[in-house]
Amino acid sequence: MADTNAPKPSSSVKLVLLGEAAVGKSSLVLRFVNNDFQENKEPTIGAAFLTQKCNLPTRTIKFEIWDTAGQERFASLAPMYYRNAQAALVVYDLTKPTSLIKAKHWVAELQRQASPGIVIALVGNKLDLTSDSAGSAEASGGGDDNAEDSGDARKISTDEAKAYAEEEGLLFFETSAKTGHNVTEVFTAIANAIPETSLKSARGPGASHAGVSRTEEQRVNLNGPRDLDAKEGCAC
Amino acid sequence: MAMGSIGDTLWDVVICGTGLQQSLLALSLSRSGKNILHIDPNDYYGGAEAAFSLQEAESWVDRLATEDKGLFRSASITKPDVVGLSFPRAYSLALAPQLIHARSELLSQLVSSRAYRQVEFLAVGSFYIFKAPVGPEQQPSLVRIPSTREDVFSTTAISAKAKRGLMKFLRFVLDYDSPEQRDAWKPFADKPLVDFLQEHFKMDTELKTYIITLTLSLDGRITTEDGLFIVHRHLTSMGHFGPGFAALYPKWGGISEIAQVACRAGAVGGAVYMLGAGIKSMETATDEIELELTSGDKVKTKLLVRGDESVGDEPSISRLVAVVDSPLKTLFESTVDGAPTPCVAVVALPPGSLTTPGEANTDPVYVFAHSSGTGECPNGQSVLYLSTMVTPNSKEILSRSLESLLSAVDPDRVPQCLYQLYYEQAAGVKQSRLDGLILDLPGPSLSLLMDDASLNHVREAWKKVVGGAVDDAEYMVFTDREPVDDDDYE
Repeated sequence: MADTNAPKPSSSVKLVLLGEAAVGKSSLVLRFVNNDFQENKEPTIGAAFLTQKCNLPTRTIKFEIWDTAGQERFASLAPMYYRNAQAALVVYDLTKPTSLIKAKHWVAELQRQASPGIVIALVGNKLDLTSDSAGSAEASGGGDDNAEDSGDARKISTDEAKAYAEEEGLLFFETSAKTGHNVTEVFTAIANAIPETSLKSARGPGASHAGVSRTEEQRVNLNGPRDLDAKEGCAC
Repeated sequence: MAMGSIGDTLWDVVICGTGLQQSLLALSLSRSGKNILHIDPNDYYGGAEAAFSLQEAESWVDRLATEDKGLFRSASITKPDVVGLSFPRAYSLALAPQLIHARSELLSQLVSSRAYRQVEFLAVGSFYIFKAPVGPEQQPSLVRIPSTREDVFSTTAISAKAKRGLMKFLRFVLDYDSPEQRDAWKPFADKPLVDFLQEHFKMDTELKTYIITLTLSLDGRITTEDGLFIVHRHLTSMGHFGPGFAALYPKWGGISEIAQVACRAGAVGGAVYMLGAGIKSMETATDEIELELTSGDKVKTKLLVRGDESVGDEPSISRLVAVVDSPLKTLFESTVDGAPTPCVAVVALPPGSLTTPGEANTDPVYVFAHSSGTGECPNGQSVLYLSTMVTPNSKEILSRSLESLLSAVDPDRVPQCLYQLYYEQAAGVKQSRLDGLILDLPGPSLSLLMDDASLNHVREAWKKVVGGAVDDAEYMVFTDREPVDDDDYE
């Protein structure tokens, strides 16, 4: 993944995933990060976060994507999960009405817990199960096998979800993690929506005049001086 | 992980409570493959080590007023009639702020378990002694304690004779556990360190205060053995993770943050987390316990690990948390080139130093000043955490200590206090207790310094859960779950 162009300013963005179990949260991330899809994927364990870069014309955004690790099940996510998240992906399954209700709860929770400027994208996943898509009737992730025979299992109309998203000021997409439809678009839209001013810990060219946050000089590196030297050498 | 009902699984262990010890246990078991249900009767993480928004602090105080049990009492909130307080979630007030020496075993475990990557550690800067005004025209002042050799050489606060005495002591401490030095202090091992400093080093009151302050001993009577251990650790921690600081503090609320990160590691490893679920009743059979949770669920487990919440023998402490409308900049200056900007400073008010109207303090009062860099308050404000032994007038002592400190920091524009949270915390029991299938970990420590001894109980609990022949060398040693990419250029 070497970027042969002249290095652009690069910033890390913490993105949290939210949504009911089995809507395809991890499948969306897997598609975005590895361009891969697994049928009947097991519920997620073992992933703390994944990273993936998103190249914009003027800068590079490095997404640090935090998985819920199953903690959405009993609403036991800790403040540290939401804290400093600059973006959130709230996912529902557009064949499952309860999952949109749940998604609305998570949006409210984010508005209560997260930083005021957080960019939230509402994503209706499993578009491949609807007649809008080329017609595969298999689940697009999240391990839900209840695909319907009709070829259109859609239970939540685009208009309904879109109207809600507009009301709450959310980005809105319908995706298929299975086919990859709209997946990169979601992340690119989020990257574009993050205000330049909220980008922190910028490193590399441009960092010096981008006003590096004071946190950087306050933070103590437990990797010890060796790694610190390496990093400094790199940023020269 | 059981995605079905939590009642369908026979759990290997149910951990109740998300204080530091239970959370570290969850971290230690996060790669063990054990079925773990981790519950907490509170709707927040951290137990007695939690960090609260102002709203959470308010409901905590309200709840304490109605239920008369546990380690906390006499909690109250005061909001002076001044403007400046930000919205409630802009604050994260730590119930039990503790400093962590760079060479603490806790940090080694967080590094070897890779959990440290999710914690932002900040430097603890200078330790100051509060000096009462000498005459009626004088202001109180703060004197910085020199705690390295270079510091001692350059300080102008003490006489040349005192410098020699202090240097002699610093040399002694660095080598205190060697056979030849041990002979000197062993007879004093269980006696107060102040007596040893007096007898062996002929230190004056001022120097003794410097040394005792470094130990953060709440009654000022720390034993020679414990005190020398702490001062030694302080000196050897200096420079360990970078120049100019000996101790660290986790951003966003101290130990609470470590508890949350440890619990998240537990969840990533497959443990199921439920907040707002305590144990309502239990029935013990030969090899399993059936628990009825306050959430209504019934679960079965082979082992139950709880935190002991009964009151122990040791005295209680009074704590006052104050939000002030000033960044208190002078407290957070770094004194060494290349040092990170400290976000925590320590001020000690030695016994008798409180001279404002009222009784003088008989015990030291310790103040942790936290800048907004800790994430515990908005920019332009600071949080002060005051602690002292409980006495009939300790609440008033803390409140006068706060006033005196604020006038010492900036006599020209004395910072205003925007918010105060007062409470008393009883000491918990110090030992863990295994009774059949129930293991109770010791109560939370009142120490102002992270006490590594409590970590041994967690390790013992880990052994109990893992069972069989386990290798201590594998404890808390994990690899990163994801490839680490510290470098932005690939």
